[in-house]
Amino acid sequence: MANCPKKVQNSKPSSVLIDPVYSSMITLLIIVMACVEICDAVTVVDVYRLVQYDIGGVPFGSRLASLNHHAGSSLFSSSSGAAADLSRTVLILPVRELNLTFIKEYIAQRKPLGGLLLLLPPAFSPNADSVGGADHDSVKDLMKEVLVELEQLLIHANIPYPVYFGFEDDGINTVLADVKKNDATGQLATATTGGYKLVVAVPEPKKIASPTIANIQGWLPGLKADGDSNQLPTIAIVASYDTFGAAPALSVGSDSNGSGVVALLEIARLFSILYSNPKTRGRYNLLFGLTSGGPYNYNGTYKWLRSLDQRQRETIDYAICLNSIGSFNNDLWIHVSKPPENAYIKQIFEGFSNVAEELGLKVGLKHKKINISNTRVAWEHEQFSRLRVTAATLSELSFAPELLQSTGGLSDNRHFVDEASVSRRVKLVAESLARHIYDLKGKDINIFADNSSLAVNPSYVRSWLDLLSTTPRVAPFLSKTDPIIMALKKELADHTIEVNVQQEVLDGMFTFYDSTTGRLHIYQVASVTFDLLLLLVLGSYLIVLFSFLVITTRGLDDLISLFRRPPSRKVKTA
Amino acid sequence: MTLFHFFNCAILTFGPHAVYYSATPLSEYDTLGTSIKAAVVYLITALVKLVCLATFLNVSETDSFDPYQELLKALIGFIDVAGLYFALTQLTHRNISQCHKFQAVGLGWAFADSVLHRLAPLWVGARGLEFTWDYIFQGLEANANLVLSLSLAALGSLMWLRKNKPKTLIPIIYACAGIVATMPSITSYLRQGLGWHLPKIVGFELFTSLAMAFISWQLFAACQRPSN
Repeated sequence: MANCPKKVQNSKPSSVLIDPVYSSMITLLIIVMACVEICDAVTVVDVYRLVQYDIGGVPFGSRLASLNHHAGSSLFSSSSGAAADLSRTVLILPVRELNLTFIKEYIAQRKPLGGLLLLLPPAFSPNADSVGGADHDSVKDLMKEVLVELEQLLIHANIPYPVYFGFEDDGINTVLADVKKNDATGQLATATTGGYKLVVAVPEPKKIASPTIANIQGWLPGLKADGDSNQLPTIAIVASYDTFGAAPALSVGSDSNGSGVVALLEIARLFSILYSNPKTRGRYNLLFGLTSGGPYNYNGTYKWLRSLDQRQRETIDYAICLNSIGSFNNDLWIHVSKPPENAYIKQIFEGFSNVAEELGLKVGLKHKKINISNTRVAWEHEQFSRLRVTAATLSELSFAPELLQSTGGLSDNRHFVDEASVSRRVKLVAESLARHIYDLKGKDINIFADNSSLAVNPSYVRSWLDLLSTTPRVAPFLSKTDPIIMALKKELADHTIEVNVQQEVLDGMFTFYDSTTGRLHIYQVASVTFDLLLLLVLGSYLIVLFSFLVITTRGLDDLISLFRRPPSRKVKTA
Repeated sequence: MTLFHFFNCAILTFGPHAVYYSATPLSEYDTLGTSIKAAVVYLITALVKLVCLATFLNVSETDSFDPYQELLKALIGFIDVAGLYFALTQLTHRNISQCHKFQAVGLGWAFADSVLHRLAPLWVGARGLEFTWDYIFQGLEANANLVLSLSLAALGSLMWLRKNKPKTLIPIIYACAGIVATMPSITSYLRQGLGWHLPKIVGFELFTSLAMAFISWQLFAACQRPSN
């Protein structure tokens, strides 16, 4: 083989020219590629975070949002009975198989945990097929009870790690099965052993600066007699439309208080038909109010009432508040704060029970005294009563809910609302109101008879129930011009006049934090030991390749001489 | 940790090229310029192939194996051979011996191929958290590709640069060159037509590349004997 002399000078200019081009091209390529989002996870699901809020500075709910830990599947490791160290593990727990006592203890003892992912059955998803109706089975009812208890547990606890809700689907179920299999071998997934990693990349949750509540009101003015209409008495029909739940992005509140809102809209529609004709216009003004801030001691109703002109307020004869009237059972309660012996209360109650009897419903009366010094407002009518306005709440709940209870949470979705029930109650309220307005006591007249032009429209009820059951409505997370608020305003404007949206700031006692949803990426990661092993293998492969090539092309002596340069010098000099 | 994986796959994909350069006498004779020129020729060839593919090929919706399309792709694959011919014969190399020339050209060719086809997927994919075996197999494929490029360059130099070849060996040389040149078509047929999975395909590539390398080495040695 010919030995070519080295000509170093010639090669330098060309390589100097080419190298920058090459390197800049590669750098450009790398920069472009780095901008491409890496989305190669095993599965990606939408998850919804547990609510984070403070009451008077006391923190509640889950205080963290971002998640980046390995997955685990049970509170205890299989090898030992005691709980393993889970401070860097995210537990995936399906609610179906949840053991509430363990969770309660775990949270009460404030044991450390990397994160919690609770999987809800797909039937509870807001986007699931809304095959409500009568085919609710005992499994769903049991699930509902579990969810209610779980929800109350979570929203009243201060949890220092992220808690997310997700829905079971095929991807996540396979991952969970895999994780369970790995856990069964007694080895928790950590950085050194590989496994699945759950990542939710969201920024740190911030306080919502001034959460707004929007009250929507509309008037149906009555027929002016000889005097002016300002002195006509008013009947107010009120319902609060916002919800609160463990997962604000899932709190659709179909029953609490979607049913009340739908009933109010339908009653407004029916009376607008009656009031459009001066011959059938009653001598009462009707005031419709869709209030916000319901779960927070009816803060919205409080602010709304104080914004009303004092004289307007004084003309209110009485107010009917609608709260949760959509369930399948037939019992209804009228809750009052004035004693039942009061003449007005008696009148109202008799009117309702007469109509109820004719419709085959049962209405009972419940009295709860108001304690002015107590800030807790359990029913909407109490806000009216504190201003000396006669009011009552119509509800299927038989006793007053506690703070943040029965406010339309996880379990309150379309399956548990019966549109036929809502229609019947609409008829009850409308009929009772009409008999009072037109002074038809004691006569057996059916104003809103079925198959008449004033019949309750079941498709109207159904479509609004469906819409509300897919719209989460937690007030602090609704913007000032949120689509649902605009939709309710437009709908009320279709039936009433002088529609007004009043924007207020929520009472300072409640503080909320944002970041209610996220996307969960599940990655299957290899352990660090695997990478090190691979590096070892590759290193030895390259060394073997190197030696092989040196031996075959230059001879064995060259290889040995590579490693023995220093001693050879000594040999030479010696 | 995932950059670790990227680093591992990168040294698997590009390490052998560097090792080959430094281990063999190529580094002693400073043939880097030849390799770089060969890499540039490869880039131009790849561009020409792309244009031809875009013009003549119609994209099929399904992933099935269409013989006519594959035949067209194989024909366009011969542009590769033309590019190699250009790199071996037309470029002005410094005065280096034939056996070093083909090695340098083959090395530059294979390096450009690896960078063009494998660097971008590696950068985007291997850095993610998700672990797959794909990039390791890709690295093994790059190794097989290096050996194949070297054998093709050897056969090419035998065909076009060596003037006195034993008559009996000429058809064998051309046959081997043909097989090596159509190797991409064969692999795509195996992947789509027979539905082989990645590990099997990579194994097949490694085996055939070693076999072809051995055969071309023997042919090269055989052709060298008469001239010595």
